[in-house]
Amino acid sequence: MAKVKALKCKECGKEYPVEPIHVCEYCFGPLEIEYDYDEIKKIVSREKIENGPKSLWRYVDLLPVDNPSVGLSAGFTPLIKAEKLGRKLGLNNLYIKDDSVNHPTLSFKDRVVAVALSKAKEFGFDTAACASTGNLANSVAANAAASGMNCYVFIPANLETNKIIGSLVFNPTVVAVEGNYDDVNRLSSEVANEFGWAFVNINVRPFYSEGSKTLAFEVAEQLGWKAPDAVVAPLASGSLYTKIWKGFNELKTVGLISDNSPRMYGAQASGCSPIYKAFKEGRDWIVPEKPDTIAKSIAIGNPADGPYAVKVGKESSGDMEIATDQEIIEGMKLLAETEGIFTETAGGTTIAVLKRFAEKGVFDPDEIVVAYITGNGYKTMEVLEGHLNKPIHIKPSLHEFKEKVIGIKVKK
Amino acid sequence: MESIKLKLIYPEDKIKEPILSRVCKNFDVEINIRKANVTENIGWLELEMTGDEDQIEQAIKFMESQGIEVSPLEGQIFLE
Repeated sequence: MAKVKALKCKECGKEYPVEPIHVCEYCFGPLEIEYDYDEIKKIVSREKIENGPKSLWRYVDLLPVDNPSVGLSAGFTPLIKAEKLGRKLGLNNLYIKDDSVNHPTLSFKDRVVAVALSKAKEFGFDTAACASTGNLANSVAANAAASGMNCYVFIPANLETNKIIGSLVFNPTVVAVEGNYDDVNRLSSEVANEFGWAFVNINVRPFYSEGSKTLAFEVAEQLGWKAPDAVVAPLASGSLYTKIWKGFNELKTVGLISDNSPRMYGAQASGCSPIYKAFKEGRDWIVPEKPDTIAKSIAIGNPADGPYAVKVGKESSGDMEIATDQEIIEGMKLLAETEGIFTETAGGTTIAVLKRFAEKGVFDPDEIVVAYITGNGYKTMEVLEGHLNKPIHIKPSLHEFKEKVIGIKVKK
Repeated sequence: MESIKLKLIYPEDKIKEPILSRVCKNFDVEINIRKANVTENIGWLELEMTGDEDQIEQAIKFMESQGIEVSPLEGQIFLE
């Protein structure tokens, strides 16, 4: 028996064969992988995982891929005990899951793209595609280049080219669409549905999104096969947040951990917070927003998995909060100054919201709390301009150095 | 003939207007609604629209001009 039974509609439960499809033909609900957990229980063990590759592929028994061939060094990122940040926030067991050093392109997207393109190759696709100017485009372009796939990246035409240098270096075909973001969205969907390409967050999305579960698997293993008490993670499409929850639940289902899954705390930017608003207003639908925030990598105004994230927030007895642009910058600085980790704005949002929840007293001081840092600050340094200390200018003289830098009054 | 899956979200002040009926009268497209939730405060629909490419394009532009949020079923795909 195979570990994957079928694709299953999250809304009506109708099952489909394992193919590159993502929408239920009847109710238009999203499709998700349906595993045979009894079968997985027979083949998976802590020992087998611990002896596996030092990458996310050590969890291949819990992923919808048979022969990993793309992103073979993705995942297995550090889990850091954040002593200094923890002291500041009154948390004795705070951990940072540091995906800012994921391979090859320094964000958690390397996980989802590794799974999506490995599956795409199994399906026989030779072309990968995405619509992005940021972390997703970086990862799709790099992994397509390394695995010999053709690559198409869709962007709005009015964007400056220097925004996508980090993707252009891998030599994808970049399609600059004359239109706004909505037009790029719609065209991407049409292309995905018409061409035989693996459009990572469209037609292979059921497989792509499963890659985020490895953020839960790794944390549990790194904690000594234990689930944390609480998790703080950014909310963009809602997929990462829901898959972290699913990951911990699966570990319990197959007997790798015995703890209950953590309370899930979600973080959004105040300039784009449709999931937070739905959660707080008790709605199960999302009202789309036009994003206006520096946290571009999580600014999804019309999030596909928003309703499911709201559900996970409730089911896990978690909560959601928002951070202003200023708080996001302060969050980036706080993590850098205390733990030496330079994250991008999504990470700043997570730290700002972690701080807010800690101040509200939602965590017991001895609880194990894990904050997920999903991207690298070296990619978006411009947001910090004007927010950091300036250099101390001196002449090349020891006298000036003593006076201006050290603060020693020197007699003349 | 092309076919496209869309999600439409109506602002509160447009819920009482027969916009989809106008779409079908003014453009040569067929609409098949699969899922919907319409209350006094909110209206959203998921549907399949079939027709020639230019008719679909024009129908979408018309709905957007009426203040309806038209997105692919997958939501926001483009990521910065």
